[in-house]
Amino acid sequence: MYTNALTKFYGPVTALAGLTMSVPHGEIFGFLGPNGAGKTTAVKLLLGLARATSGVARVLGASPDNLDMRRRIGYLPELFRYQDWLSAREVLALHCALAGVARARRRDAIGDSLALVGLAARSGDRVGSFSKGMQQRLGLAVALVAEPEVVFLDEPTSALDPVGRHDVREVLRSLKARGATVFLNSHMLSEVEQVCDRVAVVDRGRVVALGTLAELIGGPKRVRIGLESVTAGFVAAAARFGDVEQADGSSIVVSGVVAGKIPDAVAALIAAGARIISVAPESQTLEDRFLSILRKPDDADSDLR
Amino acid sequence: MPILIFANLAIAELVRRRVIAAVAVLTAACIALTGWAFSKLHQYALAHAATITRGDEAMANSMQVILLAHMFGMVLAVGAAFLAAPAIASDVESGVALAILPRPVRRVDLLLGKFLGLAAVTIGFVFLTGGVEFAVVHAVTGYSPPHPIEALSYISAGAVVLLALALAGSTRFSPIAVGIVAVALYGVSWIGQVADAVAAAYHNGAIRTACTIISLLIPSGGMWRGAIYNLEPAMLAAVSAQVSVNPITVTSPPTQAYLIWTAAWVVAVLAGAVAAFKRRDV
Repeated sequence: MYTNALTKFYGPVTALAGLTMSVPHGEIFGFLGPNGAGKTTAVKLLLGLARATSGVARVLGASPDNLDMRRRIGYLPELFRYQDWLSAREVLALHCALAGVARARRRDAIGDSLALVGLAARSGDRVGSFSKGMQQRLGLAVALVAEPEVVFLDEPTSALDPVGRHDVREVLRSLKARGATVFLNSHMLSEVEQVCDRVAVVDRGRVVALGTLAELIGGPKRVRIGLESVTAGFVAAAARFGDVEQADGSSIVVSGVVAGKIPDAVAALIAAGARIISVAPESQTLEDRFLSILRKPDDADSDLR
Repeated sequence: MPILIFANLAIAELVRRRVIAAVAVLTAACIALTGWAFSKLHQYALAHAATITRGDEAMANSMQVILLAHMFGMVLAVGAAFLAAPAIASDVESGVALAILPRPVRRVDLLLGKFLGLAAVTIGFVFLTGGVEFAVVHAVTGYSPPHPIEALSYISAGAVVLLALALAGSTRFSPIAVGIVAVALYGVSWIGQVADAVAAAYHNGAIRTACTIISLLIPSGGMWRGAIYNLEPAMLAAVSAQVSVNPITVTSPPTQAYLIWTAAWVVAVLAGAVAAFKRRDV
Protein backbone atom coordinates (compact mmCIF):
# COMPACT_ATOMS: atom_id res chain seq x y z
CA MET A 1 0.00 0.00 0.00
CA TYR A 2 1.13 3.54 -0.43
CA THR A 3 0.08 7.10 0.09
CA ASN A 4 1.30 10.20 -1.63
CA ALA A 5 0.75 13.67 -0.18
CA LEU A 6 -2.42 12.40 1.47
CA THR A 7 -4.21 15.26 3.16
CA LYS A 8 -7.39 15.48 5.16
CA PHE A 9 -9.00 18.57 6.64
CA TYR A 10 -11.98 18.41 8.99
CA GLY A 11 -13.16 21.98 8.65
CA PRO A 12 -10.29 24.11 9.94
CA VAL A 13 -8.57 21.15 11.57
CA THR A 14 -5.75 19.44 9.71
CA ALA A 15 -5.99 15.75 10.47
CA LEU A 16 -3.44 14.64 7.91
CA ALA A 17 -0.91 16.94 6.28
CA GLY A 18 0.59 15.33 3.20
CA LEU A 19 1.22 11.77 4.37
CA THR A 20 3.63 9.96 2.08
CA MET A 21 4.71 6.41 2.77
CA SER A 22 4.67 2.91 1.35
CA VAL A 23 4.36 -0.53 2.87
CA PRO A 24 5.57 -3.52 0.86
CA HIS A 25 3.78 -6.85 0.75
CA GLY A 26 4.35 -9.16 3.71
CA GLU A 27 5.56 -6.54 6.15
CA ILE A 28 4.32 -5.78 9.65
CA PHE A 29 4.27 -2.02 9.61
CA GLY A 30 3.95 -0.07 12.82
CA PHE A 31 2.21 3.29 12.66
CA LEU A 32 3.03 5.25 15.78
CA GLY A 33 2.09 8.63 17.04
CA PRO A 34 0.57 10.52 19.93
CA ASN A 35 -3.17 10.95 20.29
CA GLY A 36 -4.56 13.12 17.51
CA ALA A 37 -1.53 12.59 15.27
CA GLY A 38 -3.67 11.38 12.38
CA LYS A 39 -3.15 7.62 12.65
CA THR A 40 -6.80 6.61 12.55
CA THR A 41 -7.54 9.20 9.87
CA ALA A 42 -4.86 7.67 7.67
CA VAL A 43 -6.43 4.22 8.04
CA LYS A 44 -9.89 5.57 7.31
CA LEU A 45 -8.64 7.22 4.13
CA LEU A 46 -6.92 4.01 3.04
CA LEU A 47 -10.15 2.06 3.59
CA GLY A 48 -12.50 4.59 2.00
CA LEU A 49 -14.28 5.34 5.26
CA ALA A 50 -13.37 9.00 4.86
CA ARG A 51 -12.60 10.99 1.75
CA ALA A 52 -9.21 12.60 1.29
CA THR A 53 -9.07 16.34 0.77
CA SER A 54 -6.17 15.72 -1.62
CA GLY A 55 -3.49 13.19 -2.37
CA VAL A 56 -3.43 9.54 -3.29
CA ALA A 57 -4.09 6.39 -1.28
CA ARG A 58 -3.72 2.88 -2.66
CA VAL A 59 -4.11 -0.52 -1.04
CA LEU A 60 -3.01 -3.60 -2.97
CA GLY A 61 -2.49 -1.14 -5.78
CA ALA A 62 -6.16 -0.15 -5.90
CA SER A 63 -8.14 2.88 -4.79
CA PRO A 64 -9.97 2.70 -1.45
CA ASP A 65 -13.35 2.34 -3.20
CA ASN A 66 -12.32 -0.73 -5.17
CA LEU A 67 -14.54 -3.65 -4.09
CA ASP A 68 -12.11 -6.34 -5.30
CA MET A 69 -9.43 -4.84 -3.09
CA ARG A 70 -11.80 -4.82 -0.14
CA ARG A 71 -12.36 -8.56 -0.50
CA ARG A 72 -8.68 -8.98 0.33
CA ILE A 73 -8.43 -6.85 3.45
CA GLY A 74 -9.43 -7.10 7.10
CA TYR A 75 -9.93 -4.26 9.55
CA LEU A 76 -10.18 -3.95 13.29
CA PRO A 77 -11.30 -0.39 14.09
CA GLU A 78 -10.22 1.37 17.25
CA LEU A 79 -13.67 2.52 18.37
CA PHE A 80 -16.14 0.02 17.10
CA ARG A 81 -19.19 -1.95 18.03
CA TYR A 82 -20.75 -4.99 16.53
CA GLN A 83 -24.49 -5.66 16.52
CA ASP A 84 -24.96 -6.42 20.22
CA TRP A 85 -28.07 -8.46 19.49
CA LEU A 86 -26.09 -10.98 17.41
CA SER A 87 -23.97 -13.82 18.77
CA ALA A 88 -20.23 -13.88 18.10
CA ARG A 89 -20.76 -16.65 15.55
CA GLU A 90 -23.50 -14.65 13.82
CA VAL A 91 -21.29 -11.56 13.62
CA LEU A 92 -18.61 -13.63 11.93
CA ALA A 93 -21.19 -15.24 9.62
CA LEU A 94 -22.36 -11.76 8.61
CA HIS A 95 -18.83 -10.67 7.80
CA CYS A 96 -18.13 -13.89 5.89
CA ALA A 97 -21.20 -13.19 3.78
CA LEU A 98 -20.22 -9.55 3.22
CA ALA A 99 -16.62 -10.48 2.40
CA GLY A 100 -17.76 -13.07 -0.11
CA VAL A 101 -16.28 -16.10 1.68
CA ALA A 102 -17.51 -19.24 -0.10
CA ARG A 103 -20.43 -20.86 1.75
CA ALA A 104 -18.62 -24.18 1.98
CA ARG A 105 -15.74 -22.54 3.80
CA ARG A 106 -17.68 -20.33 6.20
CA ARG A 107 -18.20 -22.86 8.97
CA ASP A 108 -14.50 -23.70 9.20
CA ALA A 109 -13.44 -20.07 8.79
CA ILE A 110 -15.70 -19.00 11.65
CA GLY A 111 -14.60 -21.84 13.91
CA ASP A 112 -10.93 -21.22 13.21
CA SER A 113 -11.25 -17.49 13.84
CA LEU A 114 -13.09 -17.97 17.12
CA ALA A 115 -10.49 -20.49 18.27
CA LEU A 116 -7.66 -18.19 17.24
CA VAL A 117 -8.87 -15.40 19.50
CA GLY A 118 -9.98 -17.66 22.34
CA LEU A 119 -13.73 -17.18 21.95
CA ALA A 120 -14.73 -20.67 20.83
CA ALA A 121 -16.48 -21.34 24.14
CA ARG A 122 -18.51 -18.13 23.86
CA SER A 123 -19.43 -18.39 20.19
CA GLY A 124 -23.16 -18.61 20.87
CA ASP A 125 -23.27 -15.74 23.36
CA ARG A 126 -24.66 -12.39 22.41
CA VAL A 127 -22.05 -9.73 21.74
CA GLY A 128 -23.89 -7.42 24.12
CA SER A 129 -22.82 -9.64 27.00
CA PHE A 130 -19.12 -9.44 26.10
CA SER A 131 -16.55 -7.44 28.06
CA LYS A 132 -14.57 -4.81 26.19
CA GLY A 133 -11.61 -7.15 25.92
CA MET A 134 -13.77 -9.93 24.52
CA GLN A 135 -15.26 -7.53 22.00
CA GLN A 136 -11.74 -6.62 20.93
CA ARG A 137 -10.92 -10.31 20.53
CA LEU A 138 -14.07 -10.67 18.43
CA GLY A 139 -12.99 -7.65 16.41
CA LEU A 140 -9.71 -9.38 15.66
CA ALA A 141 -11.57 -12.52 14.61
CA VAL A 142 -13.77 -10.42 12.31
CA ALA A 143 -10.70 -8.80 10.77
CA LEU A 144 -9.12 -12.19 10.08
CA VAL A 145 -12.09 -14.39 9.20
CA ALA A 146 -11.83 -13.90 5.44
CA GLU A 147 -8.08 -14.65 5.43
CA PRO A 148 -7.12 -11.19 4.22
CA GLU A 149 -3.90 -10.32 2.46
CA VAL A 150 -3.72 -6.98 4.24
CA VAL A 151 -4.86 -6.46 7.81
CA PHE A 152 -5.42 -3.05 9.37
CA LEU A 153 -5.37 -3.17 13.15
CA ASP A 154 -6.15 0.06 14.96
CA GLU A 155 -5.05 -0.22 18.59
CA PRO A 156 -5.76 -3.97 18.68
CA THR A 157 -4.66 -4.49 22.28
CA SER A 158 -5.95 -1.37 24.01
CA ALA A 159 -8.58 -3.32 25.99
CA LEU A 160 -6.66 -6.55 26.43
CA ASP A 161 -4.93 -8.00 29.47
CA PRO A 162 -1.26 -9.13 29.23
CA VAL A 163 -2.29 -12.62 28.12
CA GLY A 164 -4.48 -11.13 25.40
CA ARG A 165 -1.65 -8.89 24.25
CA HIS A 166 0.67 -11.85 24.04
CA ASP A 167 -1.96 -13.72 22.01
CA VAL A 168 -2.28 -10.80 19.60
CA ARG A 169 1.48 -10.72 19.10
CA GLU A 170 1.38 -14.42 18.27
CA VAL A 171 -1.44 -13.78 15.81
CA LEU A 172 0.61 -11.04 14.16
CA ARG A 173 3.58 -13.36 13.84
CA SER A 174 1.37 -16.05 12.30
CA LEU A 175 0.03 -13.50 9.82
CA LYS A 176 3.54 -12.60 8.82
CA ALA A 177 4.40 -16.29 8.49
CA ARG A 178 1.62 -16.74 5.94
CA GLY A 179 2.75 -13.67 4.01
CA ALA A 180 0.04 -11.20 5.04
CA THR A 181 0.75 -7.50 5.36
CA VAL A 182 -0.17 -5.90 8.67
CA PHE A 183 -0.71 -2.22 9.22
CA LEU A 184 -0.54 -1.83 12.99
CA ASN A 185 -1.79 1.43 14.39
CA SER A 186 -0.68 1.68 17.98
CA HIS A 187 0.80 3.70 20.74
CA MET A 188 1.78 0.55 22.62
CA LEU A 189 5.49 0.98 21.86
CA SER A 190 6.68 -2.26 23.41
CA GLU A 191 4.20 -4.16 21.27
CA VAL A 192 5.38 -2.43 18.11
CA GLU A 193 8.99 -3.01 19.08
CA GLN A 194 8.40 -6.74 19.40
CA VAL A 195 6.61 -7.44 16.14
CA CYS A 196 7.11 -4.70 13.55
CA ASP A 197 9.53 -4.83 10.65
CA ARG A 198 9.32 -1.12 10.00
CA VAL A 199 7.85 1.81 11.82
CA ALA A 200 6.55 5.23 10.87
CA VAL A 201 6.13 7.89 13.49
CA VAL A 202 3.45 10.46 12.72
CA ASP A 203 2.91 13.73 14.44
CA ARG A 204 0.43 16.45 13.57
CA GLY A 205 -0.60 14.64 10.41
CA ARG A 206 2.79 13.96 8.85
CA VAL A 207 5.48 11.31 9.02
CA VAL A 208 8.37 12.52 11.15
CA ALA A 209 10.36 9.30 11.19
CA LEU A 210 10.29 6.17 9.07
CA GLY A 211 12.52 3.14 9.01
CA THR A 212 13.34 -0.26 10.41
CA LEU A 213 13.61 -0.57 14.15
CA ALA A 214 17.39 -0.93 13.76
CA GLU A 215 17.48 2.32 11.81
CA LEU A 216 15.34 4.11 14.35
CA ILE A 217 16.87 2.87 17.58
CA GLY A 218 20.18 1.41 16.45
CA GLY A 219 22.01 4.74 16.40
CA PRO A 220 24.95 5.85 18.53
CA LYS A 221 24.89 4.38 22.00
CA ARG A 222 25.99 5.44 25.42
CA VAL A 223 28.41 3.11 27.21
CA ARG A 224 29.61 3.02 30.83
CA ILE A 225 33.04 1.36 31.25
CA GLY A 226 34.09 0.34 34.77
CA LEU A 227 37.87 0.50 35.41
CA GLU A 228 40.22 -0.29 38.31
CA SER A 229 41.46 3.27 37.98
CA VAL A 230 41.00 6.15 35.58
CA THR A 231 43.85 8.16 34.15
CA ALA A 232 44.02 11.04 31.68
CA GLY A 233 45.41 8.60 29.09
CA PHE A 234 42.43 6.32 29.48
CA VAL A 235 40.05 9.26 29.07
CA ALA A 236 41.90 10.34 25.93
CA ALA A 237 41.68 6.80 24.54
CA ALA A 238 37.95 6.64 25.23
CA ALA A 239 37.38 10.09 23.71
CA ARG A 240 38.45 8.75 20.30
CA PHE A 241 35.15 6.85 20.17
CA GLY A 242 32.67 9.44 21.42
CA ASP A 243 32.02 12.22 23.87
CA VAL A 244 33.25 11.53 27.37
CA GLU A 245 30.33 12.60 29.52
CA GLN A 246 31.72 11.54 32.83
CA ALA A 247 35.05 10.28 34.20
CA ASP A 248 35.58 9.59 37.89
CA GLY A 249 37.85 7.29 39.85
CA SER A 250 36.23 4.08 38.71
CA SER A 251 34.35 4.63 35.44
CA ILE A 252 34.18 6.50 32.18
CA VAL A 253 30.84 7.24 30.46
CA VAL A 254 31.07 7.78 26.71
CA SER A 255 28.11 8.82 24.62
CA GLY A 256 27.64 8.80 20.86
CA VAL A 257 29.57 5.58 20.36
CA VAL A 258 28.78 4.18 16.94
CA ALA A 259 27.13 0.77 17.19
CA GLY A 260 29.81 -1.90 16.69
CA LYS A 261 32.64 0.30 17.90
CA ILE A 262 32.27 -0.52 21.60
CA PRO A 263 34.67 -3.53 21.40
CA ASP A 264 37.20 -1.25 19.67
CA ALA A 265 36.90 1.29 22.48
CA VAL A 266 37.46 -1.45 25.06
CA ALA A 267 40.46 -2.74 23.10
CA ALA A 268 41.92 0.76 22.93
CA LEU A 269 41.58 1.17 26.69
CA ILE A 270 43.27 -2.18 27.30
CA ALA A 271 46.01 -1.22 24.89
CA ALA A 272 46.47 1.99 26.91
CA GLY A 273 46.97 -0.16 30.02
CA ALA A 274 43.51 0.00 31.55
CA ARG A 275 42.10 -2.94 33.53
CA ILE A 276 38.43 -3.29 32.61
CA ILE A 277 35.93 -4.38 35.26
CA SER A 278 32.68 -3.91 33.34
CA VAL A 279 31.27 -2.65 30.06
CA ALA A 280 27.61 -1.58 30.11
CA PRO A 281 26.13 -0.31 26.82
CA GLU A 282 22.93 1.62 27.45
CA SER A 283 20.51 0.65 24.69
CA GLN A 284 17.97 3.11 23.44
CA THR A 285 14.40 1.83 23.52
CA LEU A 286 11.76 2.67 20.96
CA GLU A 287 10.09 4.72 23.64
CA ASP A 288 13.28 6.80 24.11
CA ARG A 289 13.48 7.30 20.37
CA PHE A 290 9.78 8.05 20.06
CA LEU A 291 9.98 10.71 22.73
CA SER A 292 13.14 12.22 21.29
CA ILE A 293 11.55 12.41 17.84
CA LEU A 294 8.40 14.05 19.08
CA ARG A 295 10.29 16.55 21.22
CA LYS A 296 12.54 17.65 18.38
CA PRO A 297 11.96 20.91 16.51
CA ASP A 298 9.92 20.40 13.32
CA ASP A 299 12.84 20.30 10.90
CA ALA A 300 15.46 18.52 13.00
CA ASP A 301 14.58 15.01 11.92
CA SER A 302 14.28 15.42 8.21
CA ASP A 303 17.08 12.92 7.68
CA LEU A 304 14.83 10.17 8.99
CA ARG A 305 11.91 10.76 6.67
CA MET B 1 -26.19 -9.96 -2.57
CA PRO B 2 -25.20 -7.33 0.02
CA ILE B 3 -28.46 -5.43 -0.36
CA LEU B 4 -30.45 -8.52 0.69
CA ILE B 5 -28.01 -9.24 3.51
CA PHE B 6 -28.66 -5.78 4.92
CA ALA B 7 -32.41 -6.12 4.39
CA ASN B 8 -32.40 -9.39 6.32
CA LEU B 9 -30.23 -7.82 9.00
CA ALA B 10 -32.70 -4.94 9.43
CA ILE B 11 -35.59 -7.39 9.82
CA ALA B 12 -33.61 -9.64 12.17
CA GLU B 13 -32.77 -6.66 14.35
CA LEU B 14 -36.45 -5.78 14.74
CA VAL B 15 -37.22 -9.38 15.66
CA ARG B 16 -34.30 -9.81 18.08
CA ARG B 17 -34.87 -6.50 19.79
CA ARG B 18 -38.49 -7.62 20.25
CA VAL B 19 -39.85 -4.58 18.43
CA ILE B 20 -42.10 -6.81 16.35
CA ALA B 21 -43.22 -8.83 19.38
CA ALA B 22 -44.06 -5.68 21.34
CA VAL B 23 -45.98 -4.15 18.45
CA ALA B 24 -47.76 -7.45 17.77
CA VAL B 25 -48.95 -7.73 21.37
CA LEU B 26 -50.11 -4.12 21.44
CA THR B 27 -51.82 -4.43 18.08
CA ALA B 28 -53.55 -7.67 19.07
CA ALA B 29 -54.85 -5.97 22.21
CA CYS B 30 -56.05 -3.03 20.11
CA ILE B 31 -57.83 -5.29 17.63
CA ALA B 32 -59.44 -7.26 20.44
CA LEU B 33 -60.62 -4.07 22.10
CA THR B 34 -62.03 -2.57 18.92
CA GLY B 35 -63.62 -5.90 18.02
CA TRP B 36 -65.32 -5.97 21.41
CA ALA B 37 -66.49 -2.34 20.92
CA PHE B 38 -67.86 -3.09 17.43
CA SER B 39 -69.73 -6.13 18.75
CA LYS B 40 -71.27 -4.07 21.56
CA LEU B 41 -72.42 -1.43 19.09
CA HIS B 42 -73.80 -4.13 16.80
CA GLN B 43 -75.74 -5.67 19.69
CA TYR B 44 -77.09 -2.24 20.54
CA ALA B 45 -78.16 -1.73 16.93
CA LEU B 46 -79.87 -5.12 16.88
CA ALA B 47 -81.64 -4.33 20.14
CA HIS B 48 -82.87 -1.05 18.68
CA ALA B 49 -83.61 -2.29 15.20
CA ALA B 50 -86.81 -0.30 15.14
CA THR B 51 -84.93 3.01 15.16
CA ILE B 52 -81.48 2.01 13.83
CA THR B 53 -81.60 0.64 10.31
CA ARG B 54 -78.95 -1.60 8.75
CA GLY B 55 -77.93 1.38 6.66
CA ASP B 56 -77.48 3.55 9.74
CA GLU B 57 -75.34 0.91 11.35
CA ALA B 58 -73.23 0.45 8.21
CA MET B 59 -72.71 4.22 8.07
CA ALA B 60 -71.63 4.29 11.72
CA ASN B 61 -69.33 1.31 11.23
CA SER B 62 -67.74 2.87 8.17
CA MET B 63 -67.03 6.10 10.06
CA GLN B 64 -65.53 4.17 12.95
CA VAL B 65 -63.33 2.15 10.60
CA ILE B 66 -62.16 5.43 9.06
CA LEU B 67 -61.37 6.87 12.47
CA LEU B 68 -59.49 3.69 13.31
CA ALA B 69 -57.55 4.13 10.08
CA HIS B 70 -56.66 7.66 11.20
CA MET B 71 -55.28 6.33 14.46
CA PHE B 72 -53.58 3.42 12.74
CA GLY B 73 -52.03 5.71 10.12
CA MET B 74 -50.69 8.07 12.75
CA VAL B 75 -49.18 5.29 14.85
CA LEU B 76 -47.69 3.79 11.72
CA ALA B 77 -46.22 7.11 10.64
CA VAL B 78 -44.59 7.66 14.02
CA GLY B 79 -43.37 4.07 13.99
CA ALA B 80 -41.93 4.32 10.49
CA ALA B 81 -40.18 7.58 11.33
CA PHE B 82 -38.61 6.20 14.48
CA LEU B 83 -37.62 2.93 12.82
CA ALA B 84 -35.81 4.65 9.98
CA ALA B 85 -34.41 7.64 11.88
CA PRO B 86 -31.61 5.68 13.58
CA ALA B 87 -31.05 3.27 10.68
CA ILE B 88 -27.87 4.90 9.38
CA ALA B 89 -27.11 7.51 12.04
CA SER B 90 -26.83 5.07 14.92
CA ASP B 91 -24.67 2.69 12.90
CA VAL B 92 -22.28 5.55 12.21
CA GLU B 93 -22.35 6.93 15.75
CA SER B 94 -21.91 3.55 17.43
CA GLY B 95 -19.09 2.31 15.22
CA VAL B 96 -21.05 -0.53 13.59
CA ALA B 97 -20.55 1.16 10.21
CA LEU B 98 -16.77 1.19 10.74
CA ALA B 99 -16.72 -2.59 10.71
CA ILE B 100 -19.15 -3.05 7.84
CA LEU B 101 -18.25 -0.41 5.27
CA PRO B 102 -14.66 -1.55 4.59
CA ARG B 103 -16.14 -4.83 3.37
CA PRO B 104 -16.73 -5.16 -0.39
CA VAL B 105 -20.08 -3.43 -0.17
CA ARG B 106 -21.27 -0.12 -1.53
CA ARG B 107 -22.93 2.39 0.70
CA VAL B 108 -25.99 2.28 -1.54
CA ASP B 109 -26.29 -1.43 -0.64
CA LEU B 110 -26.41 -0.65 3.06
CA LEU B 111 -28.90 2.17 2.66
CA LEU B 112 -31.25 0.45 0.25
CA GLY B 113 -30.95 -2.82 2.14
CA LYS B 114 -32.12 -1.10 5.31
CA PHE B 115 -34.91 0.61 3.38
CA LEU B 116 -36.10 -2.66 1.87
CA GLY B 117 -36.00 -4.46 5.20
CA LEU B 118 -37.90 -1.75 7.05
CA ALA B 119 -40.37 -1.31 4.20
CA ALA B 120 -41.04 -5.06 4.09
CA VAL B 121 -41.75 -5.13 7.82
CA THR B 122 -43.92 -2.02 7.66
CA ILE B 123 -45.97 -3.15 4.67
CA GLY B 124 -46.32 -6.64 6.13
CA PHE B 125 -47.51 -5.11 9.38
CA VAL B 126 -50.06 -2.90 7.58
CA PHE B 127 -51.58 -5.74 5.60
CA LEU B 128 -51.55 -8.24 8.44
CA THR B 129 -53.01 -6.03 11.13
CA GLY B 130 -55.29 -4.14 8.73
CA GLY B 131 -56.55 -7.39 7.30
CA VAL B 132 -57.18 -8.88 10.73
CA GLU B 133 -58.95 -5.71 11.88
CA PHE B 134 -61.21 -5.68 8.83
CA ALA B 135 -61.90 -9.39 9.28
CA VAL B 136 -62.82 -8.89 12.93
CA VAL B 137 -65.13 -5.98 12.07
CA HIS B 138 -66.78 -8.08 9.37
CA ALA B 139 -67.14 -11.04 11.70
CA VAL B 140 -68.87 -9.07 14.47
CA THR B 141 -70.89 -6.57 12.41
CA GLY B 142 -71.03 -7.92 8.87
CA TYR B 143 -69.54 -4.66 7.57
CA SER B 144 -66.56 -4.54 5.21
CA PRO B 145 -64.98 -1.39 3.78
CA PRO B 146 -65.44 -1.12 0.01
CA HIS B 147 -61.79 -1.35 -1.11
CA PRO B 148 -59.68 -2.77 1.73
CA ILE B 149 -56.67 -3.81 -0.39
CA GLU B 150 -56.46 -0.38 -2.02
CA ALA B 151 -56.86 1.34 1.36
CA LEU B 152 -54.08 -0.73 2.93
CA SER B 153 -51.89 -0.08 -0.10
CA TYR B 154 -52.31 3.67 0.35
CA ILE B 155 -51.58 3.40 4.08
CA SER B 156 -48.44 1.41 3.24
CA ALA B 157 -47.41 3.99 0.66
CA GLY B 158 -47.75 6.76 3.26
CA ALA B 159 -45.51 4.82 5.62
CA VAL B 160 -42.97 4.19 2.86
CA VAL B 161 -42.87 7.94 2.17
CA LEU B 162 -41.99 8.55 5.81
CA LEU B 163 -39.47 5.70 5.83
CA ALA B 164 -37.67 7.23 2.87
CA LEU B 165 -37.75 10.68 4.44
CA ALA B 166 -36.42 9.51 7.81
CA LEU B 167 -33.78 7.30 6.20
CA ALA B 168 -32.54 10.22 4.12
CA GLY B 169 -32.31 12.39 7.24
CA SER B 170 -30.53 9.57 9.02
CA THR B 171 -27.57 9.81 6.64
CA ARG B 172 -26.71 13.25 7.98
CA PHE B 173 -28.48 14.00 11.25
CA SER B 174 -28.97 12.47 14.68
CA PRO B 175 -31.76 9.91 15.15
CA ILE B 176 -33.77 12.02 17.57
CA ALA B 177 -33.68 15.08 15.31
CA VAL B 178 -34.70 13.06 12.28
CA GLY B 179 -37.51 11.29 14.15
CA ILE B 180 -39.01 14.52 15.41
CA VAL B 181 -38.73 16.28 12.05
CA ALA B 182 -40.24 13.34 10.15
CA VAL B 183 -43.24 13.12 12.50
CA ALA B 184 -43.68 16.90 12.35
CA LEU B 185 -43.64 16.83 8.54
CA TYR B 186 -46.15 14.00 8.57
CA GLY B 187 -48.40 16.21 10.70
CA VAL B 188 -47.94 19.15 8.35
CA SER B 189 -48.77 16.98 5.35
CA TRP B 190 -51.87 15.57 7.08
CA ILE B 191 -53.15 18.96 8.16
CA GLY B 192 -52.44 20.21 4.64
CA GLN B 193 -55.03 17.74 3.33
CA VAL B 194 -57.57 18.84 5.95
CA ALA B 195 -56.90 22.52 5.25
CA ASP B 196 -57.27 21.85 1.53
CA ALA B 197 -60.77 20.46 2.09
CA VAL B 198 -61.73 23.51 4.16
CA ALA B 199 -60.18 25.90 1.62
CA ALA B 200 -62.07 24.17 -1.18
CA ALA B 201 -65.36 24.76 0.63
CA TYR B 202 -64.52 28.44 1.07
CA HIS B 203 -63.04 28.78 -2.43
CA ASN B 204 -59.73 30.08 -1.06
CA GLY B 205 -57.22 29.71 -3.87
CA ALA B 206 -54.15 30.83 -1.90
CA ILE B 207 -54.63 28.23 0.82
CA ARG B 208 -55.34 25.55 -1.75
CA THR B 209 -52.12 26.43 -3.59
CA ALA B 210 -50.17 26.23 -0.34
CA CYS B 211 -51.77 22.87 0.44
CA THR B 212 -50.94 21.57 -3.02
CA ILE B 213 -47.31 22.56 -2.55
CA ILE B 214 -47.26 20.82 0.83
CA SER B 215 -48.77 17.69 -0.63
CA LEU B 216 -46.12 17.69 -3.36
CA LEU B 217 -43.25 18.25 -0.93
CA ILE B 218 -44.45 15.63 1.58
CA PRO B 219 -46.81 13.21 -0.16
CA SER B 220 -47.73 11.18 2.95
CA GLY B 221 -50.89 13.29 3.37
CA GLY B 222 -51.93 12.49 -0.18
CA MET B 223 -51.54 8.79 0.53
CA TRP B 224 -53.69 9.19 3.63
CA ARG B 225 -56.30 10.80 1.42
CA GLY B 226 -56.26 7.78 -0.90
CA ALA B 227 -56.62 5.39 2.02
CA ILE B 228 -59.64 7.19 3.44
CA TYR B 229 -61.30 7.43 0.02
CA ASN B 230 -61.06 3.66 -0.38
CA LEU B 231 -62.57 3.09 3.06
CA GLU B 232 -65.64 5.20 2.36
CA PRO B 233 -68.74 3.34 1.18
CA ALA B 234 -70.71 5.05 -1.60
CA MET B 235 -73.39 6.00 0.90
CA LEU B 236 -70.92 7.90 3.08
CA ALA B 237 -69.31 9.56 0.07
CA ALA B 238 -72.74 10.75 -1.08
CA VAL B 239 -73.50 12.21 2.33
CA SER B 240 -70.06 13.84 2.50
CA ALA B 241 -70.60 15.47 -0.86
CA GLN B 242 -73.69 17.19 0.53
CA VAL B 243 -71.76 18.74 3.41
CA SER B 244 -70.05 22.00 2.55
CA VAL B 245 -67.08 21.57 4.95
CA ASN B 246 -66.05 18.03 5.85
CA PRO B 247 -62.33 17.73 6.42
CA ILE B 248 -62.44 14.16 7.74
CA THR B 249 -63.87 12.41 4.70
CA VAL B 250 -62.57 12.54 1.14
CA THR B 251 -64.56 13.07 -2.03
CA SER B 252 -61.95 12.15 -4.64
CA PRO B 253 -58.90 9.85 -4.75
CA PRO B 254 -55.38 11.02 -5.62
CA THR B 255 -54.86 11.37 -9.35
CA GLN B 256 -52.66 9.01 -11.32
CA ALA B 257 -50.22 11.85 -11.89
CA TYR B 258 -49.98 12.34 -8.13
CA LEU B 259 -49.28 8.64 -7.61
CA ILE B 260 -46.50 8.81 -10.20
CA TRP B 261 -45.18 11.93 -8.48
CA THR B 262 -45.17 10.11 -5.12
CA ALA B 263 -43.25 7.16 -6.53
CA ALA B 264 -40.76 9.54 -8.16
CA TRP B 265 -40.51 11.45 -4.87
CA VAL B 266 -39.53 8.29 -2.98
CA VAL B 267 -36.93 7.42 -5.61
CA ALA B 268 -35.54 10.97 -5.59
CA VAL B 269 -35.34 11.12 -1.80
CA LEU B 270 -33.54 7.77 -1.67
CA ALA B 271 -31.18 8.92 -4.43
CA GLY B 272 -30.44 12.05 -2.40
CA ALA B 273 -29.87 9.90 0.66
CA VAL B 274 -27.41 7.72 -1.22
CA ALA B 275 -25.53 10.78 -2.50
CA ALA B 276 -25.37 12.28 1.00
CA PHE B 277 -24.25 9.02 2.59
CA LYS B 278 -21.57 8.49 -0.05
CA ARG B 279 -20.00 11.80 0.84
CA ARG B 280 -20.16 11.29 4.58
CA ASP B 281 -16.98 10.48 6.51
CA VAL B 282 -17.57 7.72 9.03
